[in-house]
Amino acid sequence: MKLDSKVPEGRLEDKWRNYQFKSHLINPANKKKLNVIVVGSGLSGAGAAATLAELGYDVQCFCYQDSARRAHSVAAQGGINAAKNYQHDGDSVWRMFYDTLKGGDFRSREANTYRLAELSAPLIDHFTQQGVPFAREYGGVLVNRSFGGVQVQRTFYARGQTGQQLVVAAYSQLYKMIKAKKVEMLPRHEVLDIVIIDGKAKGVIARELSTGKIKRFVADAIVLATGGYSRVFRLSTLAIGCNGSAIWKAHKRGAYFAAPSFTQIHPTALPQTSESQSKLTLMSESLRNDGRIWVPKKKGDDRPAKDIPEDERDYYLERKYPSFGNLAPRDISSRAAKERIDAGHGVGQLKNAVYLDFKHAIERFGRETIEDRYGNLFTMYRKITGIDAYKEPMKISPAAHFSMGGLWVDYELMTTIPGLYAIGECNYSDHGANRLGANSLLQTSIDGYFILPNTINNYLEGELKAKRPEIDHQEFSKVEAEVKDQIQSLLDINGSRTVDDFHRELGKVMWQECAMSRNKKGLEKAITQIKSIKEDFWKDVKVTGSSDEMNTELEKALRLADFIELAILMCTDALQRDESCGAHFREEYQSEEGEAVRNDEDYAYVSAWEYNAGEFKLHKEELKFEFVKPTVRSYK
Amino acid sequence: MSIFFRKFIIAATGLFLCIFLIVHLSANSLLLLPEASARGLYNAYSTTLRENPLITAVSYLLYLSIIFHVIYAAIITIKNRKSKGTGYRVNHKQENSTWASQNMGFLGVFILLFIVVHLVNFWARVKLGIGESVGLDVDGNTDVYEITYTLFHNIYYVLFYILLMIPLGFHLHHGLKSAFKTLGFYHKKGLRVLAKISLVYAFVMSIGFGVIPLIVYFK
Amino acid sequence: MKVTFKIWRQDSPDSKGELKTYETDGLTEDMSFLEALDHLNEKLVLKNEKVVAFEYDCREGICGQCGVFINGRAHGPHDHMTTCQLHMRSFKDGDTITVEPWQAGAFPIVKDLVVDRTAFDRIVEQGAYITAKTGTAPEANSIPVPKEVSDAAMDMAACIGCGACVATCKNASAALFTSAKINHLNKLPQGKAEQHTRLLDMTKQMEVEGFGSCTFTAACEVECPAEISISSIAEMNARYVKAKIFG
Repeated sequence: MKLDSKVPEGRLEDKWRNYQFKSHLINPANKKKLNVIVVGSGLSGAGAAATLAELGYDVQCFCYQDSARRAHSVAAQGGINAAKNYQHDGDSVWRMFYDTLKGGDFRSREANTYRLAELSAPLIDHFTQQGVPFAREYGGVLVNRSFGGVQVQRTFYARGQTGQQLVVAAYSQLYKMIKAKKVEMLPRHEVLDIVIIDGKAKGVIARELSTGKIKRFVADAIVLATGGYSRVFRLSTLAIGCNGSAIWKAHKRGAYFAAPSFTQIHPTALPQTSESQSKLTLMSESLRNDGRIWVPKKKGDDRPAKDIPEDERDYYLERKYPSFGNLAPRDISSRAAKERIDAGHGVGQLKNAVYLDFKHAIERFGRETIEDRYGNLFTMYRKITGIDAYKEPMKISPAAHFSMGGLWVDYELMTTIPGLYAIGECNYSDHGANRLGANSLLQTSIDGYFILPNTINNYLEGELKAKRPEIDHQEFSKVEAEVKDQIQSLLDINGSRTVDDFHRELGKVMWQECAMSRNKKGLEKAITQIKSIKEDFWKDVKVTGSSDEMNTELEKALRLADFIELAILMCTDALQRDESCGAHFREEYQSEEGEAVRNDEDYAYVSAWEYNAGEFKLHKEELKFEFVKPTVRSYK
Repeated sequence: MSIFFRKFIIAATGLFLCIFLIVHLSANSLLLLPEASARGLYNAYSTTLRENPLITAVSYLLYLSIIFHVIYAAIITIKNRKSKGTGYRVNHKQENSTWASQNMGFLGVFILLFIVVHLVNFWARVKLGIGESVGLDVDGNTDVYEITYTLFHNIYYVLFYILLMIPLGFHLHHGLKSAFKTLGFYHKKGLRVLAKISLVYAFVMSIGFGVIPLIVYFK
Repeated sequence: MKVTFKIWRQDSPDSKGELKTYETDGLTEDMSFLEALDHLNEKLVLKNEKVVAFEYDCREGICGQCGVFINGRAHGPHDHMTTCQLHMRSFKDGDTITVEPWQAGAFPIVKDLVVDRTAFDRIVEQGAYITAKTGTAPEANSIPVPKEVSDAAMDMAACIGCGACVATCKNASAALFTSAKINHLNKLPQGKAEQHTRLLDMTKQMEVEGFGSCTFTAACEVECPAEISISSIAEMNARYVKAKIFG
C-alpha cells in the first residue's frame, strides 16, 4: 500500500483552509445517525468526544480509569505553547512552526506542524472560555513564560498544574455532553481489540474491568486517543496504567506504526532507588534555570556531596556546552548524564544519578528567592525522598517520558485503516524526532478539539449510505473469541514468575539498548533478548485470580504482552535508521565531539511499519521540505 | 427539605441561643453581689422579665429555638450516620479534627439533660407552679433568689451544674464558629478572628455559669 | 524492613469483607507505600493467592485515583498528601499498618480497597462546566480577569477529585469537593451566567447521591492533598443563599 499523506494543495498558510473548504460536510439531521467510538478520555479523547457530540454525533467514550478525569494528561506541569505574541517579542505562527520543526530535527511533515502552530492561538481562547484559570497579570491579562528550545515567551500556564487544569476543562465539557445524553461514558473499560469489517474499522472489543465482562461495541468510526507507550521501559514518568494495547492491536490489524523508536528521555526525573520501584517522578525542567548539574571527578566517589571540594566536581554540561550549559535541550542533557553515569561517575545508592545543585544559586540570590521560584518543587522533592534540597543537592536522573512515535496518520489524522483515527500522543504527527517542551498539551488538545471534528466528516459522509454491521456479525464473534483465548491462555500458563518480574527484565533491556543512545550491535542483541523474554513470558508467567472479576494482575499481564511485541518493533525501527536525529542517537553516527549527525540524503522519511504475522515491513513516507531548509541543530 | 435549610435552622437557632446565654449570664452575675442587694435585684429582674410581654414573646422564640435546634440536630445526625455507613476499624480522627467537632450530638445530649433538670428546678416551679410553692420577698416579688440559694447549697446540684458546663463549653466553642460558616461567613481573616472569639466566648460562658453555683455554695 | 499489613479484603460489592493479616518482608524505606503493596501482591501471586485490588495511576499525586485509609487516616499519617506520595520511611520496622477502603454510603466498595466514586462525576455532570461549544470562544484577553480572582479560582480548581474529604468526614459529606467545583467557576467572569443554576443543581445532586451534610469538623481540609480550605464550603453556603434569592 502506498502511503498517502493527503496534504492539501496551496501555500503553507492556506492548506488547512483549503482542506476545510473541500472536505465533505454532513447535515445535522444525519449526524445523529452516526456513531463514533473514542478510546481514551485525556485531552484529545475528552476534547474529541465532547466536540463530536456538540456537532451532533452519537459518541461512546472509553477509559480504563474510574473517571475520565484521571487520564495522564493531568500530569503535564509546565504549560502549553501558543503563538499569541502577547509579549510583543517577535513571535508568530511561522516562528512557532519553524521552532517545532527544527526542535523535531526535521522529521515531521511541514503541513501538519504548520497547522499545529496555526491553531494554537484559538486553543488558548477556547480553554479560557471553558474556565481554565491561566496565570494572569495584575491588570487581568494572560501571562507567558519561556521554555526550552525557543527564544520567545509563548507558554501559558496554570501554576505547576497546567495539564490538570486543561483535563478538568475537557472532562467537564465531556460531562456536559453526557448530561445532554449525546455521549455515553464507559469508565473502567479497557479496549482490547479493534474489529475490522470489509477493510473498515467498525467496532471494538472491551473488557469491563470491574466485572471482567467482555463486551462488543459497534460504530461508524473509531478514534484512538490512548496516549504514550513509554511504559515499555517500565520505569518512566508515565502513569502505571498507561499502555499501548489498543494501538498495538490496531497495528496488528493493519494500521501502520510510524517511527516507534522516537522516544523522548527527560533529563530531570528522580532516580530509581530500588528494584521494586514502579515510577520515576518528573521534576520540572525549569529547575535547570538555577540549578547546576555535576558529578564527582573521581570514579565511584562515595563521599557525601558536601565533602567533595569544588575542584573535584565536574560540571559536565557547562564544560561540554559552554553557550547553553545547564540549559541544553532535553535529549542532549539526558545523553550527557548517561555518558557520565556509564563512565562510573554516577551518584546515589544505585550510582545512577547526577547532582542538581542549588548551592550557588542560594548563595547568589538568597534562599527566599529560590523558595519563591521553586518552593513547590522542593516540597515535592522532600515528600518523595525525605531530603531537604536547600541543604544538599538534588539527585536527578534521565527517565523515559514521551513517545513521538505512534500510529501513522495522514493529514486527516486517519490511520492506514479507513475509519480508524489516532489522535494525541498515540499518533505520529507533529513532533518529528524530538518534542519541544509545552508542545504536547498543545498537540493533543488541537487534535481532539479542532482537527478531528473537522476531518472525520470527510470519511463519515461516505458511511451514511453504508449499513452499520450488526453486533453479531461473524467478525465480532471471531475477534471476541481471540480476545477471550488470549486471556484464558495467560491464566492457564500458571508459571513461576510474576508479570512485574518480566516487565523489569524488558525494561532493563530497553533502557540499556533503545533509550538515549543506541548502536547496531546492542539493538540486534536487544531484539534477540526480547524475543526470548516473549517466549519465557508465554511459558512461565503466573497470573492468579480469574477472568470474570476485577483482576488487576490480569490487566497488567495483557498490557505487558503487547509491550513486549512493541519493544521488538521499537528496536527494529531504531536499527534501520542509520543516522542520529533528535531523540534517536545512534553511536555510529556522531561527530568527533560526540554530537548527532543527521543524514537527510537517505533518511528524510517517516518509517511506517506494516505488521505481517510477527514480521514488520518498512514503508517510507518521504518528507519534502518545500518551505524551509533543514539545518543542523547545534547547542555548542 | 435541602441539607442547607436544615443546617441553616440549626445555625440560626444556635446563634440565637448563644445571645440568650449572654443575657442569662449577666443576670446570673447579680448572684455574686452581697446577699442583701443580690436578693432584691435578682428577684426584681426576674419579675420584670416575666411581666414584659415583649420578653414573653422572645421566650417563646427561645423555647421554639431549643426544640428546633434539638429536632433538626437529631435528624441531621441520624441522616449523616446513614450517609457514612459502617465506620472504620481504625480511625485516628483526633489527628485531623477536634474532639468536640466530632461529637456535637453527644455533647448536645448532655446539654439537653441539663436544660431539662434546670427547667424542673426553676421554670417549672416559678412559671408552672409545679412542685414546692415559691414564697415572695420583702418587695413582693417571687423569691427566685431563695430557690437558687437553696439549690446551690445542695452539693449534688452544685456538682451537677458545674460539671455540665464542660460539655456546654465544648459545644459552644465549635458551635459558634460553625454556625457562622454555615450561614455563609467565609472571609478568611474574619474566620481566624471568629475562631478566637468562639474560644473566648466558650470559656466565658462555661466558666461564668460554672463558677456562680460554687460561689453561692460558699456564700 | 518488615511490617504487618492488615488489609480489607472483599471479593465483590455484595460479599462480606474482613481485615486479613499479611506479614511482609523485604521492604525498603525508599519504597512508596503503593510499591510496598505491589511487593506484597507479587508475593501473593507466587503463593498462588489473589492479589489485593487497589487503585493508582499517575503515582505522582495529581490524578486522584489512589486513596485508601491507612492507620486511621485518609491517605496515611501526613497532612495534605496523596497515598502515592507516602513512603515507607514514614513507618517503623515491625509496624502494623491497617489499610481500609474509603467508607461512605455514596462510595460503594467494588473490590478489596477499590471503591466507586462515580457519584463525584454525577455531581460534575450537573453543572461544573461553562456551557459554550468548541469554536465559540472570544479572544482570551478580551475579558480581563484580575490576578486575585484568577488565583482564587485556581486555589479551588486544584481539587484532584480523590475523595479523601468524603472518606475522612464523619458525615461522608461531599461539601468540600462540591464547593470547590462551584467556587472555581462561579468566581470567574466566564462562569457567572450560570452561577445560580450551577450551584442549585450540583448541590441537589450532592444530596441525591446520599452524601451527608457538613458540620465543619475541618478534617477534610487537613487531609485534602490540594489544600482546599473549608472556607470554600462557607462560601458555597453564602452563594446558596444568593442563588435562592436571585436564582
